Amino acid sequence: MTNTANPLERRLRLSGLLLILALLTEVICLFWARPLSFLVLISIEGVLLVLGLAAYLLSLVPAKHPPES
Amino acid sequence: MPLQTSLIIAVVLLSIALIGVLLARPSITNTRGGKMMAFLVLFLLPILCFGMGATSEMERSKSTEFCLSCHIMEPYGESLHVDDPTYLAAAHFQNHRVPAQQACYTCHTNYAMFGSFKAKLHGLRHVYIYYLGSPPAPEKIKLYEPYNNRECLHCHLGARSFEQGAVHNADPDLLRAVKANKVSCVSSGCHETVHNVATLGKVKMWAGQP
Repeated sequence: MTNTANPLERRLRLSGLLLILALLTEVICLFWARPLSFLVLISIEGVLLVLGLAAYLLSLVPAKHPPES
Repeated sequence: MPLQTSLIIAVVLLSIALIGVLLARPSITNTRGGKMMAFLVLFLLPILCFGMGATSEMERSKSTEFCLSCHIMEPYGESLHVDDPTYLAAAHFQNHRVPAQQACYTCHTNYAMFGSFKAKLHGLRHVYIYYLGSPPAPEKIKLYEPYNNRECLHCHLGARSFEQGAVHNADPDLLRAVKANKVSCVSSGCHETVHNVATLGKVKMWAGQP
């Protein structure tokens, strides 16, 4: 990730990272067949997923540009 | 691992790979096709994966194996193998009156509206008590509320053995009272030997598998 990335790309990257973490949590839960895995899937994956989706949706909102003089 | 779970994992891994492509080259979203791909990969696919995963976990939570994976439930699993037909749970399990793979869920879910949802809430309470509370000894575990005949009648209502059974019809008011849940099937002296985990050490076990 570079510092020159525009806000849109930064939000997309943040969204992608959160969603990858959410999906990795799901893979672990599907392999780990225990009662606690159900809770982890619903809670931790759920939160990461909502944050990831929110970051993606925010990236769709155009950033405000300062008025050109 | 069931085929369904393997397929879900494959879809999840594919989603991760596609998100990885977007992470590596976010500039592809500058094109129209890239924007559509981003919507698919960063919105639709994760929701689909979560839905499939949650559904799979919900289904798995109905399995006998899942319920018995808590140590505290092990004696209840053993009680399904008692070699005595008066043990209600064992007789149902061994004779396939309930699906052997969903034995606990079949009898302990609530056959009313939102019954499955209530069963899941009870399950969450079990998990909370198991990990964060102080669980009682297995033989001291009680139901949250008295066992409702509705759960028995879900299968037995209308069955010949139930409707025309000699004991059930010895008293003309008995069947009506049972159907109205005024006389309990399991705690009125009729079918009260259910799991009885406190006496498991003294009974003979059935070696077969249902």
